[in-house]
This record gives sequence, C-alpha cells and structure tokens, in this order.
Amino acid sequence: MSPYWGANFFEFFFLFFTRLFHSVWSQPATDEIQIGVLCMTAISCGLIGPFLVLRKMTMFANSLSHTVLLGIAGTIFFFGKETPFDLTHLLVGALLAAFLTALLTEGLIKGFRLQEDASIGLVFTSLFALGIVFVTLFTKDLHLGLESVVGNVDALKLSDFRASTLLALLNLSLITLFYRQFQIGSFDRGLAKTLSSCSSLFHYLLLFLTSVTCIGAFRAIGVILVLAFLVGPYLTARLFFHRLKPLLVASVLLGCLASLLGVAFSRHLLTTFGLPLSTGGLVVCFIGLLYVLSYIVKKIYRSGMLLTKAHD
Amino acid sequence: MSLIDFFIDPVLRGPTWGTLFMCIASGLIGSVLLLRKKTLLAESLSHAAYPGVILGVSLFALAFPAHEEWAFVSVLAGASFSAFLALKGIEWLMRRKVSPDAALCFILAVFFGAGIVAASSMQSQLPSWHQKTQMLLFGQAATMTGIHVALYGGLALSIALFFLLMYRPLQSVLFDRDFSSLLGLNVKWLERLIFCLLLASLIVGIRSVGVILMSGMIIAPAVAARQFTHHLHRMFFLASFFGALSGLLGNFLSIWGSMYLSTETERMTLPTGPSIVLVGSCFAFLSLLFAPQRGLVSRLFRIGAFRLRRLEENILKYFWKKGTLSRKILHETLHVPMWALFLVLRRLKKQGWIEGAYSLTPDGMKRAASIVRLHRLWELYLTEQLKLETGKVHKTAEEMEHILTPDLEERLTHLLGAPTQDPHQQPIPEKSRFP
Repeated sequence: MSPYWGANFFEFFFLFFTRLFHSVWSQPATDEIQIGVLCMTAISCGLIGPFLVLRKMTMFANSLSHTVLLGIAGTIFFFGKETPFDLTHLLVGALLAAFLTALLTEGLIKGFRLQEDASIGLVFTSLFALGIVFVTLFTKDLHLGLESVVGNVDALKLSDFRASTLLALLNLSLITLFYRQFQIGSFDRGLAKTLSSCSSLFHYLLLFLTSVTCIGAFRAIGVILVLAFLVGPYLTARLFFHRLKPLLVASVLLGCLASLLGVAFSRHLLTTFGLPLSTGGLVVCFIGLLYVLSYIVKKIYRSGMLLTKAHD
Repeated sequence: MSLIDFFIDPVLRGPTWGTLFMCIASGLIGSVLLLRKKTLLAESLSHAAYPGVILGVSLFALAFPAHEEWAFVSVLAGASFSAFLALKGIEWLMRRKVSPDAALCFILAVFFGAGIVAASSMQSQLPSWHQKTQMLLFGQAATMTGIHVALYGGLALSIALFFLLMYRPLQSVLFDRDFSSLLGLNVKWLERLIFCLLLASLIVGIRSVGVILMSGMIIAPAVAARQFTHHLHRMFFLASFFGALSGLLGNFLSIWGSMYLSTETERMTLPTGPSIVLVGSCFAFLSLLFAPQRGLVSRLFRIGAFRLRRLEENILKYFWKKGTLSRKILHETLHVPMWALFLVLRRLKKQGWIEGAYSLTPDGMKRAASIVRLHRLWELYLTEQLKLETGKVHKTAEEMEHILTPDLEERLTHLLGAPTQDPHQQPIPEKSRFP
C-alpha cells in the first residue's frame, strides 16, 4: 500500500518532503521511485540538451530516439527477451543504435550527396520500421514495441532507479570533465578544430551520450518523449539566461520540477477523480506548460520594466 | 490467393486500394517537401496529429457510441485540427528565434505527450475504443472497408488533381519563390494550400501507416524519384509510382507476415506501417545506389573511368618522351602500384597503342603526340593570352590535357595562330588524325 494513497496535489508535496528525511531511502514507494527515475532522466537530458540545441542537432536526437528501438531489438536478439534491461545491455544497444544511425546518416549526406533533412528522415524511419518488425518477430508481441514508444512509468522498479542514476552520473562526469571542449565545439566548430585534433571525437561522444540517455529513459517515458526532456527545459531556460552554465543548471532544475509536478498531479487526479493517467505524458505536458508560463512571465516582467522606465 | 485477388476480393481489396491511394498522395506531397528541404516538418506534424486523433475519437465515442463505423470521420477531423495547431505552434516558436529543428522537436514531443495522456485517460474510460486507436500508432490497413477507400481515394485524387491543375505555379514557386512573387503569383496562398494538402495526406496516411512512421512514407518515394530525373513532372510521376508500389508490396508483406506469425491458438498481426515503410526505404536505398545518373555506383564508375583514362594518357605521354621503358621504371617514376600498371599496360597493348616489352606502336606515337600537343597548347595559351608566368603553367596543363575536346583544340590552334613552339621552347607536335 502506497503511503501516497488518497493524497491530493498539496498533500503529496507535504508527504514527499516529510518522507524525504525519513523513510524514502529505506522503503521507497512507487511514486518516489518514479520521481527518482524521472529526475535522473531530467538531469541527464538537461545536461546534454543544451549542447544538442546549440549544435542544431535536435533532429538528429529525434532520429536517435527512434533508432534506439533497433538497439533494443538487438539486445533482445543477443541476450534473450527475459533479460531485465540492465546497464550493460542498455549500453550495448545504445552503442549499436548510435553507431548505425550516425554511420548511415553521414554516409547518405557525404557519400550519396542526399540533402541533410531527407537523410535523417530516411535513416530513422527505415531503422525504426526495422526495429518494430524485429521486436515483433523476436518477442511475438507487439506490446513491447508500443511500450517502448509511450513508456510505462508504473512498471518502474528500484533497479531502474539505480540504472538511471548511473547514467546521470556518467553524463555529469563526462560533461564536467570535458566542459570546455563541449562548449567550444557548440559555439565555434572551426575554433574547436584548430585548437585540438580530436574535436570530432567530442561530437561522437555527445551522440553516444544522447543515445545512452534515450535508451536509458525508454522504460520510464518512452523513446519519443525523451525529446521533450532534451529540448523543452533548455528552451524555457533560454528565455531567462544567456550564459551556458546557468542554462545547464536551469535546464536540469526545470526538468526535475516538471517531473515532480507531473508525478504529483498524476497522483492528484487518481485520488480526486479516480483517473489513472500516463505519468510520463503528464510530465511532458508540464514541460510544455512551463515554457508557456515562462514566456508569459517574461512578457509581463518586460512590460513592467518598460512601464517603470517610462515613469522615470 | 493470386495477385488479382488483392484487388477484387471483398476482404482484401479494401486495404489494397486504401494503401495504394494513400501512398500516391504521400509520394506527391513528399516531392514538394523534399525540394523545399522541409521533409522533417512531416515528421513533426504526423506525431502532433496523435492527440487530435485520440480526442476526436473520444468525443465521437461519447456522442455516438452506436455508430462505430463512422468513427474515422472524427479521426480525420481531430488529426487535422491538432496538426494545424502544431503547425501554428512551430511557426510561432520560429518567429521567436527558436532554431527550426528545436522548434520541430519541441512541438513534436509535447503534442505526443499530450496524446499519450489523452490515450491513458481513454484507456480507463473507454477501453474498447482505446484498443482501436492504439493501432493508429503503427497503422493497420486490414480493417479498411469501402467507405474508407472512397474517402481516401477522393483525398488522393484531389491532391493529384491539384498538382495537375496548378503545375505551372507550383513549379515556379518551388524553384524560385521570389521570382514567382514578382510575377504576381499569390505565393502565400499557394503555400497555405500546399500545407493543407500535406495535412490531408498525413491524416489519410494515419490509418494505414500510423502516426509514427508517416514521415517515412513522405520521404522515401520522393528520395527514390529524385534519383532518376531532373524534371519536376517526371519526379511527381515517379514518386507516386514508387509510393504506389511500396504501398502494394508493403500491404502484401504485412498480410503474409501476419499469417506467418499467427499460430492456430494465437492471432498476431504484423502492423502495416513498418512493412510499407521498409519496402519504400528499400526502393529509396536501391535508387540511391544504382540510379543511372545520380546513383553512387554510376558516380564511382565515372570517377574510376576518368582516372583510368588519365593514367593511360600519362603513361603514353611518358613513353613518347622516353622511348622504351620497363614496368619497373614506370612504377618508380609514376608511383603507381605494380598490379595496376600490369593491368593498364595489358589494356594499352590490347588496344594497339604499345607493343613488346613496352614501346609505342606507330598508332600509339600519334595518340601520345596529340596528348602532348594539347598540353603544350594549353601552356602557350596560359602564357600568351592570360599572361601567366612560364614557371606556373605546367601544373594546370597536366590536368587540362585530359579534359580538352577536339573542338577546343581547334579553337586554341586558331586563337594562337597555329604555333610550333611552347613557352619552354619545346616543339608542339603536328595535329595528327589517328583512327
């Protein structure tokens, strides 16, 4: 029996923060695991997303988020469908998917001289279709294909939390370690090339991290909704901040905030209306809502500033 | 089950004709998007249609729970509404200096998230209807009937008709937008119309290919068609042809796969969307590889043929200067691997340019002399007409001697006044006719 049973929106937060200092760590409830996994995903995505948007690679991230399904199909093929999605298998799948996608897309652009948008679109749709067919063939079950697209927060276990924490730590350590390289590469690719001979290495490292993050998040929110985590918090933060470090921190925090709100609201709806809604979807809706709200706040703030200036 | 059965059998003909019409429509629209470099817009909009589909069906289920066979009307209405909203959202974000790719991604993900929330609420409230909307994610053509086919056929036909009637204005807008607005065309309205048709073809496709893979069907036939032609009307025709073919084969693959997967106890279905997209992408990849003009294989072949000719001509030229040469000396001076030299020399011998342990035949002499003549003519042209320094001209002449045509040679001779000496005081060989 979940301690959050029957809690509404505000009671949820009250309970959560009181439990944060007591029993969360010893006996986590499902809602707390959900919050944990979603926050860890938000951290991973908030750290990578800004770099992706700055490099104008979000559509490539979209492509990766689709093709990880082929990676998942690959892990099922190699390790059997009973394997829980633990970290090593995820890494193998992510590596496979990222490698294939990057190779094919760049091959099409450079070797076949196909325009960029069409190359991205052609590669990910065909690989995704292949992934769906393989998953259907291997597992004889269409449900996994569906679930990987839309995610299933309710099925999360403590092992998922551990995996996503490790992924977040991996992202955090690599981004802090190579912050300078990522930063230069995002703003001035030419400069990065002249400064060091391995600037394209960081490009591929970023691709790999994106792929790992997508595949790590697929149990929680599904491969497509990860995109919202990657792009949304950054766009919201961008309304207020203009330097990279605050942007990164704000994206992470906004992602975590949306996760908290989403889980709480989902619980609230279940309590008051008896409506079990998809928590992952709600979190993404909150990411969208936060953007719109921030935009309005910024507008009001600006017009207020203008008014006071006019008075002076 | 013969091939004709797919078109006339009362159960099979619905999906066959339905996918056929839908793929023709998406091929046509796809060519326009490909030329405008906006194919990823289709990706975003097709995902964004999902919440509309769910809401439309839910409202329909609440209002007319007994008329399930008409539910597809609500699918169309809902999908076009939310895709239109997404389009406006993308435009709004881009006006606020969000980069286009980020705007597309953000709208895609948020709309899809909203769709998933709506779907989960539907799952608890209207479980039997939810089952049916789930198949719209990956497409399920099998249950299409006459009404669907009539509607989708009508939409595809109207798209084709639009392309036929508006061919000229469409062409001018696609290739030069500013020029066509100067001509007095209403570019804005035409673009709006194209977007409406894009929405139409997307929502038609939702039924058979599904919201997630619909963009694949927009891109793949257009990419395949682009490989074969430079003409817009042929591209439209080929794209609809490739689309139709992949629709037919994909539908067949899906039916066959479902039969293969199903056991006596359990019925499995291979969704239509992935199979159609797989077939379409196969066509696209094959044309990227093997198309006669733009394909990778023919391009590599052309490059290889040119390199071979250059090597042959360089070897002949070298013989002309040095007389008899062994393979080893050629290897050391020209830096060409021994095996390649072996092949090239054998080829030259077969064509009758060289003989013995490598010296030129009389025919070979003439051929080599004509190459040297082109080289020296070009050098002279550069120094006399373009006033280049004598020391700098050799390198470009080394390239040009393989490219100059007989026509150009004649013009050069005429321009330079039938010269006999090049800038390095070497004789320019006489023009010789060789067979």
